[in-house]
Amino acid sequence: MRILILALTELRLMGWGMKRYFFNTGALVLVMYLVFLGMFWGVRAIAGGVVSGDSLDSMVVGYVLWLMAMMSIQGTGGEVMNESQTGTLEQLYLSPLGADMIFLFRLINGILFNYIFVTIMLYLSMLTTGRMLTVNFPYFYGVLFLSILSLVGISFMMGGIGLIHKRIGSVYGILSFALIGMMLLPVYPFTPWALLPFVAGAHTVNSSTVHGTVFPAWWYMYVAANSLFYLVAGLLIFRVFERKAMRLNKMGQY
Amino acid sequence: MNDPGVLIKVENLRKTYGKTVAVDGLSFQARKGEILGILGPNGSGKTTTLKSILGLVYHDSGEILVNGLSVPRDRKRVLESAGAVLEGARNIYWYLSPRENLLYFAGIRGVSARRAAPMIESLLRQLELWDVRNKEVRQFSSGMKQKVAMACAFVHDPEILFLDEPTMGLDVEIALSMRGWIRTLVREHGKTILVTSHDMDFIESLCDRVLIIRAGRIISDETLQSLKARFSQKTVEIVLEAPLTKAQSDAAEALGPCQTVGDEGVFRLRIRLHQPRRILDLMDILRDGGSVVRDFSTSENDLEDIFLQMIRKEP
Repeated sequence: MRILILALTELRLMGWGMKRYFFNTGALVLVMYLVFLGMFWGVRAIAGGVVSGDSLDSMVVGYVLWLMAMMSIQGTGGEVMNESQTGTLEQLYLSPLGADMIFLFRLINGILFNYIFVTIMLYLSMLTTGRMLTVNFPYFYGVLFLSILSLVGISFMMGGIGLIHKRIGSVYGILSFALIGMMLLPVYPFTPWALLPFVAGAHTVNSSTVHGTVFPAWWYMYVAANSLFYLVAGLLIFRVFERKAMRLNKMGQY
Repeated sequence: MNDPGVLIKVENLRKTYGKTVAVDGLSFQARKGEILGILGPNGSGKTTTLKSILGLVYHDSGEILVNGLSVPRDRKRVLESAGAVLEGARNIYWYLSPRENLLYFAGIRGVSARRAAPMIESLLRQLELWDVRNKEVRQFSSGMKQKVAMACAFVHDPEILFLDEPTMGLDVEIALSMRGWIRTLVREHGKTILVTSHDMDFIESLCDRVLIIRAGRIISDETLQSLKARFSQKTVEIVLEAPLTKAQSDAAEALGPCQTVGDEGVFRLRIRLHQPRRILDLMDILRDGGSVVRDFSTSENDLEDIFLQMIRKEP
């Protein structure tokens, strides 16, 4: 029951934040759409105005996946950094329900918000390119969720590092570029690049949505195992840094 | 915990940061319904002690029991009965209103909005925040923000409240109202409060007992009354028409360190008596020497004098 109250409280906090920063939320959609437009027109200009349908489709899905990855990776790390900056982090650690539960619910809320956001971006992008993909949403969101869990793990790792080192914003800049490159890596059938987080899942979603590729069951199991590995590793690393922060009295210092 | 009245028991608490010893074998207890003040210079280990009790800092050795529960082992259960203001006004979300902050901090402690509603209204009214309950906190003065932070720490009705420098940066009026509110919490609701502060007036007017810490060690743990009795010194200031004679000065010096200041026919004698009752001896010295007293005043040692005396005295 108390966990439900916590879940509802975190949902309410997200609602208050969106209401207070309504302009910012709207601007985020606009800016991300403008980035896509820039990319779209840039690709067309480079290709001399002719871009194949499959390439456009792949670009749309790739862009949406990249957005989702970026937002997910910033999840817990971003929360820890913000809370540390504002001075409320210690208060979260004074919750008898546990700060880890608070961060978990924030993460779930964040993923829900990101799903809505990327769906809007997906349709805006498809309208812009004029190529309407038939998206199997349960499959799309299901596999996306499965692969996003690996980035949730990375996010927890970043959160842990943030507890000690506080300013980790520049690492996100590097990661956002790295993710673009990572998503272009050949991973199927299995290559060592598939060991990296998210790339196997991203390839699966992209290929199946754009080309209708059907993957064998073992591949989905691999995507799940990859995600689980990074998730567990992320949670463990977060816990290690959390303990270290408590040993060094770093929770409240920024 | 043997004594049921003891709510917090700290035994040989030790905490180091690298080679720096922050807390060095601290032992004390806090009883139910007590306001315990913790005084000490900067870096003496006050905040580390509070945070260790709350489990926000892992201590190296020693034992912390709150309500018979061990910290950090039973930390989550301990937090059910604890509230804290550790970074003052920064402990709350400035983009939210006081009402939203209170709802949020109740929620993360598992208290539903419906159950918290009467407490939220009561706190907002008591702390004179009711009229601004829906305004964004960022528009508030630091005193009002501090009040919101205090309310948030108390919204789940904890048994123990930890306050780290609650009056820092506050004006006199808000500090006074805060003091009144804290007193009400203890008297009417039987809460236990641990408070650190550099504001001696605040501590002196609020606390039942004071711990004085220096370099992570307790150099005094007693009630304000016994502290004052132990360090009691009466300072007497007498305005005279003529300076003291040599014999009078020598006799006065024997009663305590004294100082005479002469200015345009007015002579002031300031003497800190070793024993307050020796004031009669001083009067005898003046009378026997034929001194004419134009004015007379006395003052007692306050907590600040005692604190400074102790901090300087201890090795």
